[in-house]
Amino acid sequence: MTVENPNPETGEINLVDREFAAAPQPVYRRVLSRCPIARSSFGAGPVLSRYEDVIWALRHPEIFSSEMEVQMALGTERPMIPQQIDPPAQTRYRKILDPRFSRRRMAELIPQLRSQANALIDRFIDAGECEFDGAFAIPLPCTAFLSLMGLPQKDLDLFLELKNGIIRPQVDPGDVEGATRVRSTSGKRIYAYFEAVIDERAAQPRDDMIGYLLGAEIDGNKLSHTEILDICFLLLLAGLDTVTSTLGCNIAYLAANPEHRRRLVADPTLIPGAVEELLRWETPVTCVPRVIKQDLTLHDVAIKKGEVVTLLLGASNLDESEFVDPERIDFERKRNRHIAFGAGAHRCLGSHLARMELEVALEEWHRRIPEYRIKPGETPRYSPGIREVQYLPLVWNTQR
Amino acid sequence: MKVLVDSALCVGHGRCYVLGPEVFREDERGRCWIDSHQVPRELEDQARLGEANCPENAIRLETQ
Ligand code: HEM
Ligand code: SF4
Repeated sequence: MTVENPNPETGEINLVDREFAAAPQPVYRRVLSRCPIARSSFGAGPVLSRYEDVIWALRHPEIFSSEMEVQMALGTERPMIPQQIDPPAQTRYRKILDPRFSRRRMAELIPQLRSQANALIDRFIDAGECEFDGAFAIPLPCTAFLSLMGLPQKDLDLFLELKNGIIRPQVDPGDVEGATRVRSTSGKRIYAYFEAVIDERAAQPRDDMIGYLLGAEIDGNKLSHTEILDICFLLLLAGLDTVTSTLGCNIAYLAANPEHRRRLVADPTLIPGAVEELLRWETPVTCVPRVIKQDLTLHDVAIKKGEVVTLLLGASNLDESEFVDPERIDFERKRNRHIAFGAGAHRCLGSHLARMELEVALEEWHRRIPEYRIKPGETPRYSPGIREVQYLPLVWNTQR
Repeated sequence: MKVLVDSALCVGHGRCYVLGPEVFREDERGRCWIDSHQVPRELEDQARLGEANCPENAIRLETQ
């Protein structure tokens, strides 16, 4: 018999198994009602789940720091800017970056993204089926990223290979050394790729992201090439899988819930609301880590300086003390303060880009393929960590 | 109705100026600003939507 998650005896919550990744909501419900501070079965650190606690932690980086010891884990050689540094240093970078990622600027990318979405759909629509992750959810954010950065679309395959080398190294399960090796090689290749672009732009200025970063100043000082590299590295890691996962979670949900899907098809003006509600319900980035800077006591539990805590965003987004009727999916929810993009100083830099990508994708997909379902006899497969639906076979009718 | 935005709390989620574009505006960095604290009656719904969807709780409404 499988043990209930979180384990009722030990209070341990397992955030890394596939069952949790496929359906985290029942686990959130249990952890919210039973243990405001659970323990992670992986590393045993405290896990905060209530909306009030999590948002408080996100707003107090002086206690809940993002400056982790283990920076090498993802193939990086230095802390990633701005995710792994705290204010006030982080704020100075955000002042430069925020204007480049504003909603207004992201809106300029819409026409291009719309045609890229359609070009992808053209490839498989007549077949009446596709594996959604590989055919759509992975390539779309990648083309959006290349447009954002002003990089050539022909680098698409190279980019996919490099980011997979970091996020999902193809090694036997359990081969930790092998994974570290692949990560570090891919990391070096990513650094080398961006280094070449930076040198090119330094020699021949251009009005694209890297050109902009080369010209940007903090208190009168230009960013160093190393800082620009670190920013690019993070953008690549943060901007692809997150959107891929959200697209997969959304389409899997809509495939399994035709009554909700048909509402979107009948009235596409509901799509922005649906994007928000599904971000809340699915919370594809289930949690974020922080390291504690000073001893504190929360809900009678002592948390020690140096401990790594997990802030369970997904659970917070189902907390009934913040959300009316949290189990109900309502695309017209009036009050929705979900934190699927985090909150406080580290609020997702790409949230406006991500929302734009999700809205365009849902609009174009449902305009072209309004009726679809999960291939009979098949089950979608979700990855732990960021909830990518790595296997999502869909079918639809091709007769008009 | 009066609307107040605490700029120390605002981090630019942008929910307010998307849902209530005639009450809330977007600055260069994607944060919210307002050109008048006074909300005309016909825009009160926009002000309410902005307040209800700001994850930072940065917006306050006062009804006279
Ligand atoms: C639906 C898609 C996305 C989700 C759910 C998501 C989620 C998040 C979350 C939860 C954080 C906060 C991390 C923390 O507090 O430690 C974050 C930060 C960040 N995200 Fe996203 N993200 C998405 C898309 C993107 C995209 C498209 C980009 C860029 C192209 C991006 C770039 C970043 C960056 C740079 C940070 C770090 C910000 C900082 O530390 O100041 N994200 N994201
Ligand atoms: S929703 Fe809140 S945090 Fe976001 S821009 Fe508006 S006031 Fe600022």
